[in-house]
Amino acid sequence: MIRKYIALLRMKYIEMLAYRLATFVWMTGAITQPLITMFVWMNIHPEESDSFVFYFMAVIFVERMTSAWDVWELDREIREGTFSNLLLRPLHPIHWAIAENIVYKWLFAVILAPVWLVGAVFWPPLRPHMTAGQAVLFLAAVVLGAALRFLLSYSCGLLAFWVTKVAAVYGVIDVISLFLSGRIAPLEMLPPALREWSEWLPFRYMISFPIEIATGAVDGGELARGFAVAAGWMAVFVAGVQWLWKAGMRKNQAVGG
Amino acid sequence: MNMRRYGRVFREFFRACLVEEMEYRSEFFGNFIASFFGVGIALLTVHIFFYQTDRLGGWTYGEVLVLLGVFNTLRGFIDFALRPNMPRLLEHVRRGTLDYILTKPVDSMFYVSFRHLVFWRLIDVALGLGVIGYGLYVERYVPSAADVLMFFVVMTASLLLIYSLWMMLMTTSFWVVRIDDLSFIFDSFFDTARFPGSMYRGAVRFVITYVLPAVLITNTPALALLGKWSMAAVLAALAVAMLFLWASRRFWRFALRFYTGAGG
Repeated sequence: MIRKYIALLRMKYIEMLAYRLATFVWMTGAITQPLITMFVWMNIHPEESDSFVFYFMAVIFVERMTSAWDVWELDREIREGTFSNLLLRPLHPIHWAIAENIVYKWLFAVILAPVWLVGAVFWPPLRPHMTAGQAVLFLAAVVLGAALRFLLSYSCGLLAFWVTKVAAVYGVIDVISLFLSGRIAPLEMLPPALREWSEWLPFRYMISFPIEIATGAVDGGELARGFAVAAGWMAVFVAGVQWLWKAGMRKNQAVGG
Repeated sequence: MNMRRYGRVFREFFRACLVEEMEYRSEFFGNFIASFFGVGIALLTVHIFFYQTDRLGGWTYGEVLVLLGVFNTLRGFIDFALRPNMPRLLEHVRRGTLDYILTKPVDSMFYVSFRHLVFWRLIDVALGLGVIGYGLYVERYVPSAADVLMFFVVMTASLLLIYSLWMMLMTTSFWVVRIDDLSFIFDSFFDTARFPGSMYRGAVRFVITYVLPAVLITNTPALALLGKWSMAAVLAALAVAMLFLWASRRFWRFALRFYTGAGG
C-alpha cells in the first residue's frame, strides 16, 4: 500500500507542476474575504486588533490546509462519464483523491509556513505563543479538520449519482459552514444560540478548532470534548462515504448496464 | 458615436439573449431561490456584526443596510451585462475569432462588452433595491427629491466606473490568455466595497479610496440616498468616472493595435 501511495503521490505531483499558474492563482484567490472580515472586527473591537490579526491570518492558513475540492471533481467526472475510467483502475478512486489532497496541501504548507515565519519576524501580532504540546495538538486538529472536510466534500460529490445539481447542495452547506466554522466571526463573537450549534456540528472542527487550540482559547476538558465530537463526526462521515459508495455503484451499473 | 443607432443595437442584443434564455425557463426558479439565499446570507452577516456593536466605521445598522443594497444592485448589473462576456472575449482572442468582430460595423469595445446578457441576474438588482428600501425603513429616513436625484447621478457614475475597471481587466486578456477567468480578480477587489470605507485602515484604505475607487463606487450612492451628499463629492465621482472611462478606451485601442500587429 505504501509503495502504491508513493507512486500516486509522484504522479499527482507531476500533474500539479503542469498547472503551476492555475495552482498559484487558486491559492491566492481565497484571501480577500477573511481580510475584509478582519477589518470589520478590528473596527468593532479596536482594543483587540492584534488578536484579530492573528486569528484571521490563521483562518487563511488553516482554510487552505483543510480546503476540499473533490465535490466539483466528482460532480464533473460522474456527469461526463469519465468516472468509469477511474473505476477500471486497480485502486479505489478515493486513494487518488487522497493523494492529490496530500500533494497540494503539502505545497500550501511549504509555501505558507515560511511566509508566516517571515511575517512574524517583522509583525509581532503574528507571533504564536504555543507550547510544544499545543503545537502538536494544533497539527493534529488541522489534519483532523482536513480529513473531515475532505470526507464531507467527497460524500457530497458521490451524490452526483442521483442528483444533477450537487454543486448547489454543497454551496448551501458551504454557506452554513461560513458562519459555524469561524470564517465570518470568531465563534466567541456569535450569538449564544449559534455558538452552541457550532460546538456540536462538524464545521467548527474544520477551521476554528485548530486556531482555538493555537490561541489557547480552548483547553482541558473542552479540548478533550472537541476532539471527541470531531472523532464522532469522522466516524459518521467514513460510514457515510462507504454507504454512498456502495449504493452509488449499484445505481451506476444500473444505468450503464 | 451615433447614440440612437447604438441604442437599437443594444435592444437587438437584448432581444437575442432573451430568446436564448427562454430556452432554459426551468432554471429560473432555482436561480430565483439562489439570489434570495445570497441576500439573506448577506443580511445575516451584517446582523452578526451588529450583534457586537451599533456602529461600523461610523455607520449605523440601517445605513450599512442601504450600502449593502447598493452593493447588491451594482453586482446584479455586473452579473447581468459584464460577467457573461469575459470568458467569451478570452475565447475570441485565443482562437483568433476576434477578427470577425473587428470587421463588424459596430464599435468593437461596445460589442465585446454587451453582446451576451444574463437576464435572471436582474433579480439581484431588484433584491438590492428592496434591501435599500428596508435599510431606509430601519433608519426611518425618507429621502428628499434632491437626494433621489443625486442618487441616480452618482449611481450612473458608479456604473461607468465599474464598466471601465471591468473593461480594463478584460482587455488584459490580450496578453494573459492562460487563465480561464479573470473575473475573480475584480470580485476580490469589489468585495471590499461591501462595507463603509471608513472601516478600513492604513494602506488598504488609501488604495481602495484613491487608487482603485471601490469605496467611491458604493459609498457615494448610499450616502446620497441618506441625504449626506455634497455637490463636490458628486462632481468628483463624475470626474473620476469620466477619467476611468477615457483610460479604459485608450487601453482597448492600444490592445487592438497590439492584436492586429500580432495577427498581421
